[in-house]
Amino acid sequence: MNKDAEMKQSSWDLQTSPNKPWRKVLYEKQPYPDNYTDEKMFLRDLKKNIDIKEITFLEAVAGASLLLQEFCNVVAFVLIYFYILYEWIDPFVILVSMGISTVLGFIYYRFFLSNSVENRIGSDLRTLITFIVFGRLFSPVFHTLTDTISTDTIYTMTFVMMLVHLIFFDYGVGAAIVSSSLSVSAVVFCSICLASRLSSANNAFILITTAVVMFVLFPVLRTEMNNPNSFKVLFLLLNTYFLYHVSIFATILFLLVVILICIIFPLLYVHYQKYKENIYGPWDEAIVDDADSIICNSNSIFQHSADDLR
Amino acid sequence: MTIYRICMVSDFFFPNMGGVEEHIYNLSQCLLLHGHKVVVLTHSYGDRVGVRYMTNGLKVYYLPIKVFYSQCVLPTMICNIPLIRYILIRERIDIIHGHSAFSALAHEAMLIGNLMGQKTVFTDHSLFGFADASAAITNKFIQITLSDCNHCICVSHTGKENTVLRAKVDSRRVSVIPNAVDTYSFTPDPSQRTKNHITVVVVSRLVYRKGVDLTAQIIADLCLKYKEIYFLIAGDGPKRWLLEEVRERSGLQDRVTLLGSLEHSQVRNVLVKGDIFLNTSLTEAYCMAIVEAASCGLKVVSTKVGGIPEVLPKKLIYLTEPNVPALMKGLENAIRDLKKGKVVCPYECNILVRKCYNWENISLRTEIVYQKVAQENTKELAEHLYCYLSSGVWPFLLVVSLTFIILKIYEYLVPRKYIDIAPDYNQKTPNKID
Repeated sequence: MNKDAEMKQSSWDLQTSPNKPWRKVLYEKQPYPDNYTDEKMFLRDLKKNIDIKEITFLEAVAGASLLLQEFCNVVAFVLIYFYILYEWIDPFVILVSMGISTVLGFIYYRFFLSNSVENRIGSDLRTLITFIVFGRLFSPVFHTLTDTISTDTIYTMTFVMMLVHLIFFDYGVGAAIVSSSLSVSAVVFCSICLASRLSSANNAFILITTAVVMFVLFPVLRTEMNNPNSFKVLFLLLNTYFLYHVSIFATILFLLVVILICIIFPLLYVHYQKYKENIYGPWDEAIVDDADSIICNSNSIFQHSADDLR
Repeated sequence: MTIYRICMVSDFFFPNMGGVEEHIYNLSQCLLLHGHKVVVLTHSYGDRVGVRYMTNGLKVYYLPIKVFYSQCVLPTMICNIPLIRYILIRERIDIIHGHSAFSALAHEAMLIGNLMGQKTVFTDHSLFGFADASAAITNKFIQITLSDCNHCICVSHTGKENTVLRAKVDSRRVSVIPNAVDTYSFTPDPSQRTKNHITVVVVSRLVYRKGVDLTAQIIADLCLKYKEIYFLIAGDGPKRWLLEEVRERSGLQDRVTLLGSLEHSQVRNVLVKGDIFLNTSLTEAYCMAIVEAASCGLKVVSTKVGGIPEVLPKKLIYLTEPNVPALMKGLENAIRDLKKGKVVCPYECNILVRKCYNWENISLRTEIVYQKVAQENTKELAEHLYCYLSSGVWPFLLVVSLTFIILKIYEYLVPRKYIDIAPDYNQKTPNKID
């Protein structure tokens, strides 16, 4: 019975007539069984990896360095927090150096990178004054807001929020996951959490100011300057130097992460590129312009016809 | 010829409307005429629960399962085992025929049927890309289901290529059997056409995948260029506002008629009023609409996507790329030929389509598939597990095993011998009932 069935199956498969070539049409009765597969025609329209761009190792490193920059930023911020917390540095020094670098950055940004200085300077000043007045006014509130929460919770929260910041930060790639507002909110949340551990409201204000300068203003300047490598190197060296003074173990961890980000991840990315296989074929959905452009177009058509009438 | 007891399973059946529903109904009717026994399994629609009989004694089970998302039941895999097992035993089913990759019920019933020793056939009605996450997930699901399915049917050669690629089935296990159209109800009637202007008919659901954005643009452009063009649009959907907007803005209220959604039986009455049928689908496995239009003797202008180029012979269709300029050109060619009188006689069209596609032929070809799967060996549990293993989703073996165990438990709880056997009868042998 088994053999018989197999025989029948194979005859059903191979019941071909060589007279007429098989055609990929449905409207014609062809002397081939329904499950016939023509080796020559089958999947002829299949296309793989259309206009794919092979990314070299250096390009991958350049891309990863954007993440490195933001990671260094986070580490630098946490370092500043610890230096203020343990009073290894006068908080006023931090405030002054932040102020000077902000002013320098602002001058460079407004006078060299953007043209409309006169129009914007008023609103910029107003923003600055608003921030200082309200920041200083509410710093006692920020300082005691999360006072009752235990330090362990604060540090865990800081870690999670910084991770959120790094994940959702706008690295200049148009992915769906990018959300600048979320990443900035995470950082502000972090700085308010950490501010409650500091000794005075003044220090809390300095920490929040630092967070705003480093995570709101600095990325804007950096993007405008096309992410220069000098910043990355500077941050890397400064971070390593100061971390070394705080803890050797943390320094080793930091350097390991840097190697991971800068060398291992790009290597893996480049290595696994060869497994990329995008399949295209006649079954793909055609892409059309979206409805908005059609409405706009029909608008212009309507105007044309109105012109014709006139 | 052997008579089989066939169970059609799909989430999509009347009163829901669409290509799959049409296909199941017509195929079932033809199989009934050939003396087979056909039962349809679907989920409940509103208060339509229980058993219903349709034309020629087609028995439809509306199972009391809640709809989860867009007429689909929640894919629980094990919750409906008692019910489906009971029906399969009661109706002494030989072959389970699942329809549509979206139908969770079909996947579920095919799994249960496999483990109960029945043969399974699956018809895939749609095309999938490989780009987005939802496609990747659905493709994995269909790969799991098809890994242990006896035979698969696709509605076009492009559909077969697509299924073979995404479900990784052996191409010899996939047959191509197109849909058909009831050409006896879709007959031409040239007297209904208007003499002094040209009517372009569009019949489709107004959703993005059917290319409503293209249609809207074409309405605006074509009406501006030709004063004698009128549009007749049947169908409803989330993109209807776009057509209304274009009609409003271009001041075409008198020339563009939106009929809203129609009963399938009324579609023919709309089609015969037109000269040209426009189809702007962005993806389509087979496209029933253009065959219906050709059957009514209309000139068909359609986008060249999916399986559409295979469906109609060159002289009945103007194929274009899926963009506005190409479609405009296709329509202009059709209009020019129409003005010159270069048309295939509508009645000749109908006969041509009738030769290509009729349910009689389709059901005969489906019967061949049934015969073939009926001859295949019944697999043991280990063989089933081995088949499912080939899909690469190991945890699914647990689902299969659990289903098997539940089936075994039910052999004790509700033994086979206590289940009433439904008498087989159909209109060919009505006297057997007494």
